[in-house]
Amino acid sequence: MVIAALALLAGLGDCLLVLSSDHSTGREWAVFGPVVGWSFIGTGMYVRRRAEARFGSLMVALGFAWFLAPLSEADAPLLFTLGIPLGSLWGAVLAHVLLSFPSGRLPSRRERALVIAGYVLVPLAPVPAMLVSDADALAGCGERCPENLLLVEADEQLSDVLLTAGAAIVMTLCLLVVALLAARWRAAGALERRSLAPLLGAGAATLLLVVGYAATRVDALRTLAFVAFAATPFAFLAGLARADLTQARGVRRLVARLADLPEPGDLRDALARALGDPGLRLAFWVPEQERYVDDEGRAVELPPTGRAATEIERDGRHVAAIVHDSSLAGETVRAAGAATALLLDNRRLDAELRARMLELRASRERLVEAGDAERRRLERNLHDGAQARLVALGLSLSLGRRTLPAESEALPLVDTWIDELKLSLDELRELARGIHPAVLTERGLEPALRSLASRSPVPVALVGTAGGRLPAAVETAAYFVVSEALTNVAKYAGAEQATVRIERTDGHLTVEVSDDGVGGAAASVGSGLHGLADRVAALDGALEVESPPGGGTRLRADLPCT
Amino acid sequence: MRVVVAEDAFLVRAGVVAVLEDAGFDVVGEAGDLDELLAQVQTHRPDVVVTDIRMPPTGTDEGLRAAEALRGTTRIVVLSEHVNQDYAQRLLAGGATGVGYLLKQRVMEPDTFIRAIREVARGGTALDPEVVAEMVERRGPIDALTPPERDVLMRMAEGQSNRAIAAGLGLSPHTLERHLTAVFDKLGLPPSAEGHRRVLAVLTYLRER
Repeated sequence: MVIAALALLAGLGDCLLVLSSDHSTGREWAVFGPVVGWSFIGTGMYVRRRAEARFGSLMVALGFAWFLAPLSEADAPLLFTLGIPLGSLWGAVLAHVLLSFPSGRLPSRRERALVIAGYVLVPLAPVPAMLVSDADALAGCGERCPENLLLVEADEQLSDVLLTAGAAIVMTLCLLVVALLAARWRAAGALERRSLAPLLGAGAATLLLVVGYAATRVDALRTLAFVAFAATPFAFLAGLARADLTQARGVRRLVARLADLPEPGDLRDALARALGDPGLRLAFWVPEQERYVDDEGRAVELPPTGRAATEIERDGRHVAAIVHDSSLAGETVRAAGAATALLLDNRRLDAELRARMLELRASRERLVEAGDAERRRLERNLHDGAQARLVALGLSLSLGRRTLPAESEALPLVDTWIDELKLSLDELRELARGIHPAVLTERGLEPALRSLASRSPVPVALVGTAGGRLPAAVETAAYFVVSEALTNVAKYAGAEQATVRIERTDGHLTVEVSDDGVGGAAASVGSGLHGLADRVAALDGALEVESPPGGGTRLRADLPCT
Repeated sequence: MRVVVAEDAFLVRAGVVAVLEDAGFDVVGEAGDLDELLAQVQTHRPDVVVTDIRMPPTGTDEGLRAAEALRGTTRIVVLSEHVNQDYAQRLLAGGATGVGYLLKQRVMEPDTFIRAIREVARGGTALDPEVVAEMVERRGPIDALTPPERDVLMRMAEGQSNRAIAAGLGLSPHTLERHLTAVFDKLGLPPSAEGHRRVLAVLTYLRER
C-alpha cells in the first residue's frame, strides 16, 4: 500500500512537473511517463507476491527510477541540475533487471561488475560536461532553460568533447549488457528460452534503440525506445504466463494420456513432451542398493551437472527422480510426477530387477576372477616351491652320482631316482599348466593358444588374431574353451585336422574350434563344457556347439570385451 | 670359461653352480633377479650367462628380457619350466646367435646341459630336444624327410656338430653329408658352412611356415 501510494504521488508529481515546465521538450510525457512508471511498479508488486520477491522489488525500483527521468523538465535550478545525472539512472536499473532475470540475483561476477559500473558511471557520465556547458547544451531547452548550478565557465568546444565522451561511456555499457544477454540466450535451453524471449527481447531492443538514438539523434528512435521500454513489463508478464500455460497444459494432457503407455520409454517421452523438456530423464530408486538407476538398471548420479532432479514419492516411499531442465518449476514437475506415480512405481520394479541382475552378473564375474587369481597363485607357488625343490634335489643326485665309482651298485639305483624325479617334474609341469598356464599370464592369449596347438596330437591351424592383450578373465575363458575343445577333438572326433579361429570385432572376442571329424558330439562333450559355459556366461558371453553326425564339430565362444 | 648364473631359487642356483664348477667352469657371479644379473654381467663380462626365465621383479619373462638386453654382447642360455615356442622365437628373433633355450630339468643331465652351454659360449645355438621335437613334429614339409634325415635335422637344431651327430647316430661322415644335403634340398635351403647358421635357417624356415 505504501509503495502504491508513493508511486501514485511520484507519478502525479511527474505529470505536474512536465505540465508546469516552461521549457518542456514534449507535453505528452505528462501522460506516458507516469503510466509507464506505474506499469513497472504494478507488475513488480504482482511478481513480488506471486513468484520472485527479489525480482519484483527490482521492477518496483525500476519504476521509481523512471519517475526521476523528467526531473530536468523542472523550472527550479536545483531540480533541473539534479535531473541531468539522475534522469538516466533508469537505464542502469533496467540493466540490473534484465541481467538478474528471473531470480533477481546476478548469476556471476561478470554481471555484478557490469551492474555496479552502470550504477556508478551512468549518473557520473554527464557531470564533467556540466562543469563547462550551459543548460541549453545539456537539455536542448533554448532561452528558457533554468540555470545549470554546476557550471563553472562555459566552453563550447570542451563541452562538445565531454558530452560526446559521456554518451560514449553510456553506449558502451548498453552494448555490453546486450552482449551478456545474447550469451545468456545462447546458453539457455528450449524451455527457458520460451519464458526469456519476451523480456530479453523488449529489454535488449530498448537498450539498442537508446544507443541508436544517442548516436544519431533521430527522434523516431527515441520514440521507439520509449515504446519498447513501455512494453517491457507486459513482455515479462507474457513470458511468465507462457511458461506457466505450456506446463499446465502439458500436465493436463499427460494425465489424459496415462491410460495407454505400454513401454517404459513412452512414459519418459510423455513426461518430456508434457513438461516441454526433451532432455528429461527418469531415475528409479533401488532401496536395497540405496541408489538411483536408469531403466536399464545402471547406476546414475543425481543430479547431473546443469540439471535439476525432483524426487517423486508414493505413499511415503521414494519411487523415482525426474531429471529436468533447471528452469522448470519444481512444483510443476512434482505435479506431473504425482500424476504418474503409479506408473513410475511399476517401471521402478522393472528397473530394480535389472539392477539386481546387473549386480548378480557382476558378482558372478568377481567370483570367476577370484578363482582365476587363486589359480595363478597356486601355479606360482608350485613353481617357486615344489618344482624348485625337486630340481634342486635332482641336481644334488646327479652331482652325488659323479662321486660314485663306476662299479658302484648304487649307480643304477641313483639313475632310477633321477628318472623318477624327471617324471615327477613332468607331471607337476602338466598339473601347473592345467591349473593356470604361465604363458597365458605372461604372454597373453595368442602365444598360449599357439602353445596349446603345438601340443595337440591332431594338427591345428591357428587363424586370426586377438589384437593384443585382453582382460585377464576374457583371455582365461577363451584359453580354457580352446583347451577343452582340442582335448575333445583328440579324444572323440577322429579328425585329421582342426582349426582354431580367433576374431576380435567391436568389443567382442570370438574363438571358434572346428574339426573335420565324425561330429555328433553334443552328448559326449557335455560334461566338460558345463564349467566352461558357466565361465563364459559369467562374462556375459555365449557358448555354442554344432556337431551334426558326420559333419565335424564346431565349438564357438563369443565374449564381450571392452 | 667364465659364467654368471641367475636363478631366484637358492637351492637350484647352488646346484647349477656346483654342476658348472664340477665341469670346470669358472662361476664369477651369481644373481637372484634381473637387475642383479645385468649388474653382474656389467662387472664381470662373462663368456656366457645361464639364467632362469622367471625371476623377480615380475616373475614372468626376466630371462628373455635379459637375453634381449644383452643381445649381441653376451651369450646366454635361458632355462624354462615349459617348452614354449613363443619364447624360443623371441630368443631367436632377428637371427640372434649365441643363445640357448633349455628345459629347467635338463640341468639334471649334466652332459646335455654342459654341451649346450659350451655350444652357446662358442657362438652357436642350442635348443632343448623337446623344443625341437615339438617344432619338427607339427610341420608339413618335414613329413617329406626320412626318419634318419629327421634325426639329423633335430640334432642339428640342438646345436650338435657334424662329428657329434655322426657319432651319435653311428653314421659315416659320408652318409651324414648325404643326409644333410637331402634335408636342405627337401626344405629348399642351400647348405652353409656354419653350424648355427644352418640351425637358424632351418628354424626360421620352420616357424615361417
